[in-house]
This record gives sequence, C-alpha cells and structure tokens, in this order.
Amino acid sequence: MHAVRNLRFCTKDCVCLFVCPTKATDTENGQIDASKCLDGCRLCVDTCPSHAISLTMETWVEPAPKAEAVAEKFFALLDRKASEEAAVKKVKKGGQTPILKALAKSLRIVAEDAAREAAYMLPQSKATRALIDRLLEERPQVAQKPFPEEELKELRELM
Amino acid sequence: MEHACGPVFSNLAKACEKQSRTREAELFWKVADYFDGSLPGLASGSEMGSTFAALSQAFQDDEDEFIAPASAAATDAKDRGALRMAVWSSKVNAIQKSVAERYAKQGDALLEGKSIFICEACGFIFIGMEAPEICPVCKAPRLRFSQIS
Repeated sequence: MHAVRNLRFCTKDCVCLFVCPTKATDTENGQIDASKCLDGCRLCVDTCPSHAISLTMETWVEPAPKAEAVAEKFFALLDRKASEEAAVKKVKKGGQTPILKALAKSLRIVAEDAAREAAYMLPQSKATRALIDRLLEERPQVAQKPFPEEELKELRELM
Repeated sequence: MEHACGPVFSNLAKACEKQSRTREAELFWKVADYFDGSLPGLASGSEMGSTFAALSQAFQDDEDEFIAPASAAATDAKDRGALRMAVWSSKVNAIQKSVAERYAKQGDALLEGKSIFICEACGFIFIGMEAPEICPVCKAPRLRFSQIS
C-alpha cells in the first residue's frame, strides 16, 4: 500500500513533509512518489490536517461474485440506460443542447453504476480480466473505428 | 457482445482514476471511446420531438420493467450494494423523466437564467443557480456536482 494525495482537498499545510521518513511526499508535481513511499507506513495519512491523503493498494482483494439473477437484471438495466443515452446523443437538431448533454451524462452515470453492480466494480478483478480476454478473442467490430487491440493487451498486462 | 461496453469501460476508467492509476485510466477511456456510439438507441429516429416522446415513454416503462425486477433480484440475493443502486436509479429515473417531459413542453425556457448540475455519483440532475449542498438522492457533497456548459 502506498499513499496518494487528493489535490482537491490538499491545503498545502505540508505536515506530510514533516513526518515522511523518505521524503516521498515532497515532489515537484504535487503527487506522492510511490517508489519512495514505505508500504503501509501511513504517517502522512494520519497527520494530514485536511484528510487529503489516503492509502491505495498494489494488489486488490477479489470481490465476491454476484448472484446470477442480480447480474442478469443489472446488465439489463445497464443496456437500457445505455440505449437511452444513445437515443439522446442521436438528436440532430441544433446539436447537443445543454439539456441533451445533461440527460446523456446522467444516463451514463446510472449505466456505469449498473455495470458495477452487475459485475465490474473493480478493474483488478476476474470479471474485468475475463471481459478483456473475450474482447481480444472476439474483436467485435463497431462502426468504422479501429479495434483497440494494443490498449486491451496493455490493460491485460496491467490488470 | 451481449451487453453495452461503453459504460462498462468508462466506469473502469473512473475507478482507475480513483486509484491514481493514470495509465490504466487512459487505456480504459480509449476502449470506452471505441464502444461509444455503437448502440442503436431507442429506434426513435433523430428528431427532437420523436426522441423526447420515446424517451418519456422509456423512462415511464423503466420503473416496472427494469428497476423493480433489479430491486427484487437484489433483495432476494440480500445484495445490499445492488439494492442501493436500484434505489438511486429509481429516484434518478424519476428526475430524468421529469426533465425530459418539462423540456419537451417548455424547450429552452426551462433553463432561463439557470444552469444544470449533475451529481457525478448518482446522475441526479439539478436545474438552478447553484448545485445543492448535498445531493438529495445519494448525499454526495456539492463538490461532486459538475456544471453542464
């Protein structure tokens, strides 16, 4: 586990610089240097007065599998909201007005949540790896875009 | 594929951003981009009027045809995370329906002097001067809202 800083909360009181034993928290880009950060040390996490630092995992616990009926219903909800988003994005008149943009964004957020509860909560999970493998095998061709083979292969390595 | 991959991959991209894994996030975004625009939509054509009529009907049907069955499956499986999603999506679906219907009637007058804010956590849509302090659906704070330009 290493520390990461949420720049949205960081108030630059810099107490993390006082406590870090390896100077991992003092960097030019504002982020903590993971290569110097001591595994599980958490001194900066506990002393930060603005609660801007947290620990993130190198390896993640495999989530409990979803019940088949839950996966089925939440995939159906995902597809439905994705279709509604697609319908909104197809409207031609005057391009994407603010209301259309808002509806599309809202529908996307709901669809993503359904995807999480159906199967894909954690990127580093069996479900995600199986999906990447299946895409690399099936190579579904959509529209006129080039299939993102290199991206999926790199993700397969990283996940 | 048997399910929509665009939202699956944008969700995984956002998850990687939360883990501060920028390379993985970038790759997941690219895969999401590949799938975006690949769905047929609701077979309502591309006209504003027919799309909003189809959308209003779709939102109307969503509750009974999609959200209630999802909620029942989550309850049976004692899956409280899934049940949480069903609760949020039911509330957000009602808002989506209301926005679509009001916009179909009032057009851009609906927005006069106002902005639109979306809760990034649950999809709640707010039309007003300033985003709410706390999301009424999921209780996320104001900083989780983004403004539509």
